Amino acid sequence: MAVAEPQLAAPLAARRRSARLLPANAARWANWSIAGLLGVVTLVALLAPVLAPHDPLQPVGQPQLAPGQGGFLLGTDGIGRDVLSRVLYGLQASWFAALLVIVGGVIIGGIIGVVAGTFGGIVDNVLMRITDGFLALPAPVLAIAIVAALGPGFVHTLLAVSIVWWPFYARIVRGEVRALAARPHVEAARLAGAGTFRVALRHLAPGAVPATVVTASLDVGNLVLTLAALSFLGLGQPAPTPELGADAARNLSYLLQQWWIPTMPGLAVLVLAMVGNLAGDAIRNLMEDR
Amino acid sequence: MRHVSSGEEEAGAAPPHPDVSFSPARPGTVAEVENLAVTFRRGNRRIHAVRGVSLDIRPGEILGLVGESGSGKSVLGMSLLGLLPEDTLEHTSGRVAVAGKDMLHGSADLRRRVRKEHLGSVFQDPMTSLNPTMRVGRQVIEAAGSTEEAVRLLRAVGISDAERRMSSFPHELSGGLRQRVMIAMAVAGNPSLVIADEPTTALDVMVQSQVLTLLRSLVDEIGCSFLLITHDLGVAAQVADRIAVMYAGRLAESGPTDTVLRSAAHPYSLGLMRSRLSLTSPRTGTLSTLRGEVPSPVAPPPGCPFQPRCDLATDDCTQLLPDPVPVIPGHLSACVLPAEVVRARRPAPDAGEQDAGEQDAGGQDAPQADAADPESAVPAAADAPGAASAVWVRQIRRTFRVKAGRGRRKDLQALREIDLDVAAGESVAIVGESGSGKSTLLRVMAGLERADHGEVVLGGSTRPQMVFQDAGASLTPWMTVGALIDERLRGEGLSRAERQERVVAALAQVGLPAEVAQARSRQLSGGQRQRVALARATVIPPQVLLCDEPTSALDVSLAAGVLNLIGRLRRQLGMSVVFVTHDLSVARVVGDRIAVMYLGNIVELGPAERVVSQPAHPYTKALLSAVPEAGAAPMVLTGEPASPLAPPSGCAFHPRCPLADDACADSELRLRPVRLRTAHDRAVACLKPELI
Amino acid sequence: MLQLAGKRLGAMVVIILALTAVMFGLQKISPLDPVHAMLGQSASAQAVAAERHVLGLDQPITAQYLHYLAGLLHGDLGTSYRTRNPLSSDLGTAFPATAELTLYGLIFALILAVLLAVATTLRWPGSWLFRLILFVGASMPPFLLAIGGILLFFVNLGWLPATGRTSIHNPPTGPTGLLTIDGLLAGQFNVVTDALSHLLLPALALAIGPAVSIGRVLRSSLVSELRSDYARTARAKGQRERQVLIRHVIRNAIGPALSMTGLQAGLMFGGVLVIEQVFSWPGMGQYMTQSIPVADFPAIAAVTLVLGIGYVLINTVVDLLQAAADPRIDV
Repeated sequence: MAVAEPQLAAPLAARRRSARLLPANAARWANWSIAGLLGVVTLVALLAPVLAPHDPLQPVGQPQLAPGQGGFLLGTDGIGRDVLSRVLYGLQASWFAALLVIVGGVIIGGIIGVVAGTFGGIVDNVLMRITDGFLALPAPVLAIAIVAALGPGFVHTLLAVSIVWWPFYARIVRGEVRALAARPHVEAARLAGAGTFRVALRHLAPGAVPATVVTASLDVGNLVLTLAALSFLGLGQPAPTPELGADAARNLSYLLQQWWIPTMPGLAVLVLAMVGNLAGDAIRNLMEDR
Repeated sequence: MRHVSSGEEEAGAAPPHPDVSFSPARPGTVAEVENLAVTFRRGNRRIHAVRGVSLDIRPGEILGLVGESGSGKSVLGMSLLGLLPEDTLEHTSGRVAVAGKDMLHGSADLRRRVRKEHLGSVFQDPMTSLNPTMRVGRQVIEAAGSTEEAVRLLRAVGISDAERRMSSFPHELSGGLRQRVMIAMAVAGNPSLVIADEPTTALDVMVQSQVLTLLRSLVDEIGCSFLLITHDLGVAAQVADRIAVMYAGRLAESGPTDTVLRSAAHPYSLGLMRSRLSLTSPRTGTLSTLRGEVPSPVAPPPGCPFQPRCDLATDDCTQLLPDPVPVIPGHLSACVLPAEVVRARRPAPDAGEQDAGEQDAGGQDAPQADAADPESAVPAAADAPGAASAVWVRQIRRTFRVKAGRGRRKDLQALREIDLDVAAGESVAIVGESGSGKSTLLRVMAGLERADHGEVVLGGSTRPQMVFQDAGASLTPWMTVGALIDERLRGEGLSRAERQERVVAALAQVGLPAEVAQARSRQLSGGQRQRVALARATVIPPQVLLCDEPTSALDVSLAAGVLNLIGRLRRQLGMSVVFVTHDLSVARVVGDRIAVMYLGNIVELGPAERVVSQPAHPYTKALLSAVPEAGAAPMVLTGEPASPLAPPSGCAFHPRCPLADDACADSELRLRPVRLRTAHDRAVACLKPELI
Repeated sequence: MLQLAGKRLGAMVVIILALTAVMFGLQKISPLDPVHAMLGQSASAQAVAAERHVLGLDQPITAQYLHYLAGLLHGDLGTSYRTRNPLSSDLGTAFPATAELTLYGLIFALILAVLLAVATTLRWPGSWLFRLILFVGASMPPFLLAIGGILLFFVNLGWLPATGRTSIHNPPTGPTGLLTIDGLLAGQFNVVTDALSHLLLPALALAIGPAVSIGRVLRSSLVSELRSDYARTARAKGQRERQVLIRHVIRNAIGPALSMTGLQAGLMFGGVLVIEQVFSWPGMGQYMTQSIPVADFPAIAAVTLVLGIGYVLINTVVDLLQAAADPRIDV
C-alpha cells in the first residue's frame, strides 16, 4: 500500500484521466451515444417481428443445429426451432416488461415520495412506514411468492415485480424531496404566494428528477435480470412462448452437448443488462456534469 | 521574484529585504514562498489560483493573510502544508520551503515528515475537520504522541475538564471547544509554523474573540509562528504582527499591521478597508463599495488584476502586471502609482454611485432615513402598537422538541417571550449569537413558523417578504429568475406582457439587466443572487421586508453594495425592514433601532447609535468588545455560551455576567425589557441597568 | 446502544409479523383451493366439507390467521401438497444447504467488494482488468454465470464438480448441518475440502452481482471520505496515507456499504433459488422450484417466510453494525 501513497491524494484520478484523454466534449458525446443504446435496443425490441427470420413457435429446420449451420445464425433448439427468432421475441418481452415495471414504479413511487416529502409529519411517517415494510422484505423472493399465489403468467409477473419495486422509488424521491424541502427556496416560494400543490410540483418534484432518472436507468439492467430469474424459475409465460429465462431453464439438459441452446438466451439477457448498466452510468455522468 | 531588479536602489548599504532575497535557507524565516504559481484544472478550464506570490514568515510572528474568496489565500496555505490536491493540479512553479525543505516538489514522504515535525494546521470548520467517529483523545494523541501530552495540550488551550473531554466524540462538543481541540493538535510537538485557515469564521463572535486571544497567547508562550488566513481584515488586524493582502492570486500589499492599516498603499487594500464596516463607520450616506466583481480566475486580465475596479487605473495598468515593491522598507505594494497618490485619492462621497446597482439610486445623497435624528422615528416603547405600526409582535414564545441523544428529547426554547413593535418605514436590526432565537423570531414574523403563544399583528394587508442568508439556496435551482419573480405576480390579474414588464422593472430596480430574467441561479454570482432575491421580494413592495443575514455569506466588497441597495429600496418603497445579523457593526448601519437578543429574549432595545456607543446591558457590552477591531483588547467572557436547551434560571446571562449576584439567578425572576428612566426610547432587561 | 438494539429487535418482530400476514393474505387471495389441492379435483362435496373443518377453513379469517400464527410459533410451517410431508421436516434438510451456500456467497461478495473498492481507489496495477471482469459479471444473469462456470471449470477443465453439495457418501450430519463446519468438527478434512470444491462455483456465481454493487458503494464512499476535511487534518498532522485510510477513513466509509450489503442479501436470496436449480443443490431453492409447477403454495410460502426472516435478521445486524461504526447514530 505504501507504493500507492503518492496517488492516494488523487482518488478520482482514474476517471479524471480518462476525461483528459478525451476532451470534455468528446466525453459528453461518448456518454450520449452510450445512453442512446437504450433507444437502439428499444428499436430492436419493437422490430423483433420484422427482424426475426423465422416463426419462433414452429420447427423450421433440423433440431440441434450448431450456430451457423443450415443458415441458422444462432442454431436451432431441441425440436428444430430457430434460436435467433426465439431470442428476438424473448428480448422484446423482457425489454418492455422491464420498462413497464420501471414506469409503473416511477409513477407510484414518485407520487408517494413527493406527497410524503412535501407534507412531512404524520403523512410522511405513515407512507414511509409502509414503504419501509416492503423494503424490509427480500424483493425477489416476495415477488416469487406473489406470482405463485396469483398463478404464473406474464401479467401476474409484471404485477408482482411492480409491487415489490415501487418502494425503492418512493424512498429515493422522498429523500430528495425531503432534502429540498429543508432548503430555503421552498420557504421563499411559500412567501411568494405559491400554494402547497404548486410548491410540490414546481419547487420540489423537479429536483428529484435527476436522481430518479439515474436510478431508473441503472435499474433497467436489474429488472431484466430479475424478470429473467422469475422466468427461469417457471413463473413466466407457459411453454411454447419464447422467453429468455424460461428458454434457458427448459434447455438446461442440452448444456453439456448443445451448449448454445440454453446459453444464447442467457447471452441475450447479458446484452440487455449490460446496455442497461452502461447507459445508466452514462446518464449519471451526464447528469453530474450538468 | 522577478521584481528584484526594482530593488536596485537598496542593493547597496541597506540589507535586502527578506521578501526580495534569493538565498535558499536563511536564518530569520520559518517558511519561504518564492514566485509561487498554482493552476488547477476544472473540466477543461484552467483555474489560475495563485499567480506569482512571494512571502516570508518569520519566527514567532503572526502573519495575517487577508483576501476575499478566490484570492488564492487558502491555496497558498495548502502549498505550505504540501497538500495541494494532486488530482486537479495542472501546474505549479516557484518555490515553497518550510524549515528549508521543498514543500512543492519534495517527495510525499519528505513533505509528510515536515508536516509532522514542523507544521500544525487549523481549518475553518472544526466539525468536519475532526474525525466524527474517533474520540477526541485519540485524535489529539495522534499529534501529541502520548496521553499525558494530549491532556496537557487540551489544558493549555483552555479546556477545563481535559481528562473527561478526551473520551468525547467531536459532535458532543460545542463549536468553540472543537476549535480548541484543533488548535491543541496544531501546536502539538512544538511546530515552528501553524497554518490557520479561517479558524474563527464558523464561530460566534464571542467565541471568535476567545479563540483569537488564545492564538495570540500561544504564540507568545510557545514562540511558534502563525499564518492566519482570513477574509476579515478586522480579525487579522486584531492579532497579526504583519498583514499580507492578496487579490486574484497576487500579493497586493504586505507590511507591519499598523503600517498597512494606517497608511495602506494599494488601492485594493484601501477599498477593502473603506467598504469594511466597523463600529465607527459613518451611518449617513451610502456605504463605500468597490465596483464590479473579482476577475475570473479562468481568464485573469493581463495587467493589474485590480485595474478593472480601480478608480486610479491608467493605460499602463492594463498592460503591466505590477510586482510588489517596497514603499518603505518592510512595506510592499503592488501598484505602479506612488503610495502618496493612492492615499491622496479619497473615496468620492458617492462611491456607491459607481456600483452597478446604484446607478438609478435617486437618493444617493439622501442620508438613511433617520440617521440625522435617530430618535425621531423611534416609538417610546414596545408595550403598545404605535400609531402606524408595520408589524407588532406580542408575547411570542416558541419551543421546539429536539433529539438530545440516547433517545431522549428535550425542549429547545428558541423564543422565551418576545415583544417588538416595528413602526411603518422603520428599520430594526436584531443582533444575537447563534442560539439566540433571532432567526426564529424572523420566521415567526414571516409566518413560516407558528408561535406557541402570542401573536403577530401586521399593519398592512401585504404579507411580509424575506431575504435569506444564502441567496443561492433561496432561489429554486431549476427555475429561471424570471419565472421566480413572476410567481409573486400570479393572482394579481395581470396580463402576461404586464407581468413581464414588472419583472424587468423589478430587476432594473436592483440594478440588474433584463437578460438576467432568463438565467438560473447557478449562472449568477453571489452578489447577483442576493439582488435577484431582493427583486423577487420587492416586485410587489411588501410593507415589511425581513432580512436574515443577507450579507454574511458575501465578500466584504459586495456586502456593502447589498446593504446600500436594501437601504435605497426601503426609502423608495416605504418599507419597514427587520434585519437579523450577528454583526453589530452591520446592525448599527442598517438599523434605526437595535434589538439585542440572548437565549430567546430581547435584552436590550434602543436607537442604534446609542446602543452601540453606550450599551446598557452587560451582554451588549461584551458583544461590542468582541467585535474584532485593530488594537482593541477584547473583554473576553469566560466559559461556554449557555444552551437554549437548558437556559439558566433567572436572567439567562447571569452565569457569565460580571455584575451578577444571587438575585439575578432567582428562578422566580422574569426579566422583560424595561424603559430606562434616563432615556425613554431605550429598554433593557437587567436588574442593574447601568447607563454610562 | 442497548436501547437501539432493543428498538431494532422490536422492529424486527413487527416486520416478521407483517410478513406472516402477507403470506397468509396471499394464501387467501390465491385462486388455488387448498382442499382441492389436497384431495384432488374429483373429491366429493362431503369429503371437501370435512377436510375444510379439519383444516379450520370454516372459521372466521382472524381465527384462521391466529391459528396459522400459533402453528408457526410451534415450528409448524404447514404441509406440502406435493410431498405430503410437514414442511418443517422437508425444509429441515434443505435449510442448512441453502444457509451454507448463502453464507459463502455473502463472504465471497464481501471479499470481492473490498478488493474491488480498494484496488480501484488505490489504483493498483491491473485493477482495471479486475474491475472489467466484475462489471461484466454484474450484468450476467446468475444462471448464465452458473452455466459458464460449469462449461469452463467442469466440462473443459474438469477442475470442479458441477452438481450437489458433496460427493462423499456418508458425510457427517450435524450439529450445524453446514458441511464445511461439521466436517471440521468431525475432523474429516476431506469432507471440508470436498464441500468447498462443490461450493466454489455456485457461491461465486451468487456473489459477483452483489460484490459489484457493494464494491461500487464502498469505493465511492472511500473516495469521498479520503477527500474529507478530517482526512486532510490527519494528513496535516503528518500521518501516512495508510494510517489515514485505516485509522480514519474506513470506519467513516463503511456505513453506506453496510446498507448496500443488507439490500443485496435480499437479491441474493432471489439468486440462490436460480443457482440451486442449475447446480442441483439440495436446498430450499430447489425445493421451491419443484413446488412452483405443481402450485404447492404452502411450500412456497414456507420458503418465503424462512428467507424473509433471514433477510430481516441480516438487516438488523447491519443496522447494529452501522450504529457501532458511527457514534452519531442515535436511535
